Amino acid sequence: MASVDKEFITRGLRRSSTGRFLLWILPWVALLVFGLYSAGLCLVKGLNQTNMDNRFAFGLWIFLDLTVIALGAGAFFTGFLLYILKIDELRSVINSAVVIGLVCYSGAVTVLAVDVGQPLRSWFTFWYPNVHSMLTEVTFCISCYLTVLLIEYLPIVLRNRKLHDVPSFLVFEHELHKLIYVLAGVGTFLSFFHQGSLGGLYGVLRGRPFAFREGLAVWPSTFFLFILSAAAVGPSFILLTTWLVEKLSRKRLVRPTVFRRLARISGLLLAVYVLAKAVDTLVWINRTSPGTGFQAWQYYSWKPFGTWILFAEIVVFGLLPALVMLTPRLRAHTGWLVTAAAMACCGVALNRFVMTVQTLALPTLSFDPYLSYYPSWQEVGTFLAVVAYGVLVYSFSFRYFNLFPEERELRLEAAAQEEEELALAGRY
Amino acid sequence: MLPWIYGFNWNAGHIIFLGAFYMVLAALVATVASAAIRSRRALRMDQAEAIRWHSDFESMPACDQVCRHVLTGEFQSRQCPHAFDCRECETHAKLIQCHPLPRVEEPEEDVFGMAFPLDRFYHRGHTWARLEKDGTVLVGLDELGARLLGRPDALVLPKPGDRVHANGAAFHARRRDAEVRVVSPVDGEVVETGSAERGWYLRVKPTSNDAKTFRHLLRGAEIKPWIQREMERLQLALTAEGAAPALADGGVPVSDIAAAYPAADWDAVCGEMFLEG
Repeated sequence: MASVDKEFITRGLRRSSTGRFLLWILPWVALLVFGLYSAGLCLVKGLNQTNMDNRFAFGLWIFLDLTVIALGAGAFFTGFLLYILKIDELRSVINSAVVIGLVCYSGAVTVLAVDVGQPLRSWFTFWYPNVHSMLTEVTFCISCYLTVLLIEYLPIVLRNRKLHDVPSFLVFEHELHKLIYVLAGVGTFLSFFHQGSLGGLYGVLRGRPFAFREGLAVWPSTFFLFILSAAAVGPSFILLTTWLVEKLSRKRLVRPTVFRRLARISGLLLAVYVLAKAVDTLVWINRTSPGTGFQAWQYYSWKPFGTWILFAEIVVFGLLPALVMLTPRLRAHTGWLVTAAAMACCGVALNRFVMTVQTLALPTLSFDPYLSYYPSWQEVGTFLAVVAYGVLVYSFSFRYFNLFPEERELRLEAAAQEEEELALAGRY
Repeated sequence: MLPWIYGFNWNAGHIIFLGAFYMVLAALVATVASAAIRSRRALRMDQAEAIRWHSDFESMPACDQVCRHVLTGEFQSRQCPHAFDCRECETHAKLIQCHPLPRVEEPEEDVFGMAFPLDRFYHRGHTWARLEKDGTVLVGLDELGARLLGRPDALVLPKPGDRVHANGAAFHARRRDAEVRVVSPVDGEVVETGSAERGWYLRVKPTSNDAKTFRHLLRGAEIKPWIQREMERLQLALTAEGAAPALADGGVPVSDIAAAYPAADWDAVCGEMFLEG
């Protein structure tokens, strides 16, 4: 079946037939519908649909929010590297990075809206902000940055073949793109602060000595660790998704040098993060935690959260991928690169899980029990809706917009190579 | 956190946060508003076609953006910084002053069995412009462009009185699934429309007739190396779009290339050859 939507697809790019595309999106649409039903139940009936309570107030959704926001940091960081530091090589992944960032942030905001509830009163957070809450800063920064991402996404949409035929869209896209460095700067500023504030949110929890940290002035160390870890895994996630899209679409989308550059940046930042995290952990074990009346080993006596989780977070999913990405010989192999990038992404997810779930599970008072939490199906459904939404937005963007500007050129290069090989083989 | 909100204090922390937040909002609004105002101005100044050309040029692979002086061997490699508009190029002005093009004695250049008369100027988007005695300029498709489109299924020509812009759309043609924008080699006002049978498509009254009018167009000794390179590009585009490689050295392209490659993605091939993104 030929593509009936061919005239909407960028000239010279090969995409699957409309039928195959519909087959691909069908299960994701089903998952989205199920997820929307789950979220609807939570919004209509309230948080009694979840397994969270006043004691275990953060669960799967906050873990998901923190993780996707960290992974989505690739958008701001790639924009920063490309438009501010002028690393032109990253131009070939910037559009994809923007879509990933948009998906991650809009997904996170949606889940937050379900978690907070009362969507009709969502404007209260802006009009009646709690001046003593770090969440206020997070809300302001995330909603502003989501606006930035939407504006950054606009030129990608307006470059669609059909829309580009409309002179006013063409000119607006051109003029907006000329100012993209402003958006990159604003995005970097906002991301820097809200990533930090998300980390700071845990660091200031005096009543939760497992998470509580000291730091600089009003900022606990987690403020800086969250920024650093997000900046470190952002490029890894871009690398991972680009590789995945290459495999699924069976197309070359970027040059291997771009993968290596992303890995080098990610590896370098990850190494710095691992070092900072190790120092922070040592300070916490020897000073901060005993100062609050707890010996660090006590936290790890509650199974299944043994010391293995700390080891896995810092060494297995931190140090190892950093070393792989910083070793030129290993970096030359895509397999190693992708494995290391996936490990780095798992590492940040594990860190956010520890900060969210382990923090709340551990007892802090003598009469406190150790709590277990398993998400309800409604929570899982809402989580899956975000995943499905992300896949759908990315799939449509990949099909109708030019996410990888070098794709066409790479295909021509492959054709040239094919011709050369045929000529060498004496075929013509 | 806002001044009218309970809990707001005029202290440094609140003012810094508030200031930063409003600055961010102001920057976002200013960016979008500025883009909108500039767009409106550009549309009023009829710059849409120039912007489209620049956008198309930017989306071309780097290997297709080579300077005309690479074609003639004066440079080993150089990417055109002016979107093929040599009227703005100081390097080109200096080069043609220091090294004028060698004279070609023949009235036309024969490349791969295709005739390229040398009494006219060629645009790299496969159109030509010929200055007539009455001061008008005839615009037509070159031999390779004509063979790529064959007999177009549809042709949309501008009306007499319409303006065309150099590097903007001269006319539109459709062949199979390919909608092609054919570029105009000159700026001016359309005074008459022609057809494939008449050998030209537009008669244009150029905006000016000075030496700069045609400076961005290829001529004389530049034609042969350019077409040789174009044939390589065509071969590559055909291979990439699913046509088996068939242009052996010394072969002559058929008169209707589109008909010879029914399986190829003709839209992509035409986009490549007519420099349309």
